[in-house]
Formats: sequence, structure tokens, C-alpha cells
Amino acid sequence: MALREVYKPKDITEVLQLLDKYKDKGKIIAGGTDLIIDLKERAIDPEVLIDIATLEELKGIAFKGSYIEIGAATTFAEMMDHVITKEKTPALVKAARSIGSPQIRNTATIGGNICNASPAADMLPVLLALDASIILKDLEGEKTILLEQVLKGKGKIDIERNQLLSYVKFKAPVDGEGLSFEKLGFRKALAIAKIALGVFVEVENNKCKEIRIGSGAIHNRAIRESKIEDYFRGKILSDAVIEEGSELFQEEVRERLINRSSGEFKREAIKGIFTTAMKTALSTIKS
Amino acid sequence: MKEIKLKVNHKDYHVAIEEDMRLLDLLRNRLNLTGTKEGCGEGECGACTVIMDGITVNSCMVMAFQAENREIFTIEGLEKGGRLDPIQQAFLDEGAVQCGFCTPGMVLSAKALLDKNPKPTREEIREGISGNLCRCTGYNKIVDAIEKASEYRKEE
Ligand SMILES: Cc1cc2nc3c(=O)[nH]c(=O)nc-3n(C[C@H](O)[C@H](O)[C@H](O)COP(=O)(O)OP(=O)(O)OC[C@H]3O[C@@H](n4cnc5c(N)ncnc54)[C@H](O)[C@@H]3O)c2cc1C
Ligand code: FES
Ligand code: FES
Repeated sequence: MALREVYKPKDITEVLQLLDKYKDKGKIIAGGTDLIIDLKERAIDPEVLIDIATLEELKGIAFKGSYIEIGAATTFAEMMDHVITKEKTPALVKAARSIGSPQIRNTATIGGNICNASPAADMLPVLLALDASIILKDLEGEKTILLEQVLKGKGKIDIERNQLLSYVKFKAPVDGEGLSFEKLGFRKALAIAKIALGVFVEVENNKCKEIRIGSGAIHNRAIRESKIEDYFRGKILSDAVIEEGSELFQEEVRERLINRSSGEFKREAIKGIFTTAMKTALSTIKS
Repeated sequence: MKEIKLKVNHKDYHVAIEEDMRLLDLLRNRLNLTGTKEGCGEGECGACTVIMDGITVNSCMVMAFQAENREIFTIEGLEKGGRLDPIQQAFLDEGAVQCGFCTPGMVLSAKALLDKNPKPTREEIREGISGNLCRCTGYNKIVDAIEKASEYRKEE
């Protein structure tokens, strides 16, 4: 098969109609930075491409009450430049800045990063730490689901072929809450030497009231590290406690990657990067 | 086949494209703008960099049909009335061109950077061209050239 039809729809409704019409034969293209490589390597074989890169309805960053909403077709460069993300979620800006090159960041989108569902996608750890939800649209209507619930494995995400990811939303961090992103390694070394972490902490009366840790590239998908989170909740986040938590994390990674060639490196590396991520998250808390 | 219209180097085009063509193929094979180079074809090297609606993109990572109604600048669009753009002049003056394969992409990344930030630091220049690989120069001369271009542009 080969590409037969390509469309640049004028609005979301037209996108949804095209998705519905072509079902499994159709594919959305945003920045194209994952998809065009997949086409080239014949990893996918769509008959129809539907371009959403310039749809204004899918672009932009805005407050909605206590939430921040980011349109699926918003590029990393746009995230790096926007006053809301710069002021409220510098960790998300840091993750965006760490991606690819200027040219890649000018076109690659947050929606594409999510939908491609790479275990090493750099947006995912921070978005998991923010407990982000995604909003999916189809001709029937829209639904909101936690990001954590749709990530199923390497390249596997629970989004139907007739659904469009329209935007991402999460609560803007407030006083008493901190957020960080740390990453190690390079894309070229993807399989062996990459780890990314997003950490969200909420501190009340000196104790850890809530913590969410999103990890990338240490499982078959980006996940929440609930065992490590459980260890911290209710504790005073002293250096000793962070040290013990990081050792627990190390043990967790050891068990998880026991038969992987990358296991040893990642087990060694996780302790340092997690400690940095925790301390950075704490340092960003405003009181 | 599909007809699209787009603007390239200030000129309006109506052109027939294949569905599976990339912007890079459209520029090189249909419009004969061969200054834009293909290196890796995978978004890694920046040899195919062009400016689309004011920002740099890898033209190997854009489908031709996505460029409909958009405005593209390639290296051929830089000279004015037979005179080199100050950035091109600075690359020559500083000896920042060896084999020249990376140069078109490098110059366009430099242009996008200087348009946004007329007086970048060396650090900012390095970041601005971080998506453009050069096998020959070791980059120092390129950074020198972009610094010089920043001065040339001020004088203009
Ligand atoms: C040179 C290079 C370097 C890179 N470096 C990094 C890096 O450091 N970190 C990193 O995380 N990634 C990196 N990537 C991968 C890629 O750039 C990102 O994953 C990017 O966010 C993908 O977004 P896109 O808009 O280009 O997606 P596309 O390629 O357009 O789409 C990706 C997938 O998502 C689907 N899709 C896109 N948008 C939607 C939507 N709104 N609704 C439903 N489905 C949708 C598409 O159908 C496709 O299956 C790199 C890629 C390249 C080529
Ligand atoms: S040819 Fe496009 S980035 Fe290398
Ligand atoms: S001058 Fe040869 S690749 Fe840069």
C-alpha cells in the first residue's frame, strides 16, 4: 500500500469526520518527527494522512480555573516561549528544551510525543508527575482520561483510530508544591543509556503530603513509581530520608531490569538522578 | 497527485506534488532549488534546514502537502539583487565554509537566530546551530562567522 490521500482539514470537526471515514487506514500527522521516520522505515503503512500541525484550535496554552491546558499541536518551542509554562512549570519547559534540536522543537508537538508513546518520550515523566489528563475527541463527543491509564507499553497507547487527542490538562502547581525534571543520556544512545524523571512534591508542616514520580526509559513505558512514592508520603524529607528512598528506587530498578544489558548502568545512575530531581523539586517550592 | 499552492522565496507557486513527497523533494526535484541538501533524511543533521513561516524546520521532516499555503525561505532566497546576504558574506570572510555541504542549513539557522536575537552570545550561537552538523570546520569558525554577521547586519 502507499499513501493515496492527504488532507489539511480546516477544523477539528473535519479531522474527526476524516478519521471516522478512513478508520484504520487514516493517520494523523502533527510535527511528523516520529511519523515520517516510521513511514520511511515502513513501520507503518497508512493510506491517508491528516495534517493537524497548523490547526489553531489545537494550539496554545491557557489557564482554565486552577488548571493549565495545552493544545495537542503545541510545539516544544512554543512551550519554551510561553509565559504560563515558563512561570508555572519550569520543569516542563526544561523537558521541552532537552528534546532534539531547534528544528525538531520548532515542529514536534506535545500531542505527538504522547501518542507515539515511546518509553523514552521526554514529556511523559513530567506529565505523569503532574497527574495530567488527556482529552480525546471523536464524532460522539469527548472524554477525559488520566494519562497514566492510557499508556500500555512501548508504542502502545489506548487511543482509538477515530479519536483525536485535543489537549492535555493538569493542575497548575501552587504554594507548597514543587516540580522537577531530570534527564540523563542522549537519544542516539536511546536503548542503553537514557533515564528521565519527573517529580512533583507537596509539603505541609514540613512533611511530604503528596509525591508523584514519573519515570521514563526504565520500564516498557513511562510509569508512575508508586512503590517509591508510598515510601515518602508522610515523612519529613531530610537528606537521610531522600538517601534511603533513592536506595529503594535503585533496588526497584535492579529487580525490574535484571535481564537487561542496560540494567547495571541504569541501576547505578538512578540514585544520583533521583536525588537531584528530589532536591530540585523541593527547591522550587514557594511558601 | 495533488495541486498545492505555497510561497517560496517571495514567489507564489502552484505545483503538483505526490502524496508521499517530502518538502525537501518538492524543493529540490520540483522547484530545482538544490541549495537545500539531504544528509541523513532523519532529522539529525540539519543539512535540509529551511525557514517556514519564520522558523527553521528540517525539510526532510515535513511532508510536501503540509507546506500548502505556507511561506518558505531557502538559501536561494537570501541574496538581494545579486548581493550576498551579510550572513553569507561573513561565512566567506571568516573561512567558515569548507566542503560547503552544511552551509545552506547553517546559514538559515543563523538567520533565524539573528532575526530573533540580533546580538547573541557565543553560547547562544552554539545552541542556535545545535541542529546543524558540520564534519569539516569544528564549528569555531562558524560561530566566529555568525558573530561577524551580527556586526555586518547592524551596519546595514
Ligand atoms: C532528530 C530527532 C530527535 C528527537 N529527540 C527527541 C528527544 O530528545 N526526546 C523525545 O521525547 N523525543 C524526541 N524525538 C521524537 C519526536 O520528536 C517526539 O516524540 C515528538 O514529540 C513527536 O511529535 P510530532 O508532532 O512530531 O508527532 P508526529 O510524528 O506527527 O506523530 C507521532 C504519532 O502520534 C500520532 N498523533 C500526533 N498527534 C496526535 C493527536 N493530536 N491525536 C492523535 N494522534 C496523534 C500520529 O498519528 C503518530 O502516530 C526526536 C525525533 C527526531 C527526529
Ligand atoms: S537531511 Fe534532514 S536533518 Fe538530515
Ligand atoms: S563545511 Fe563540510 S560539513 Fe560543514
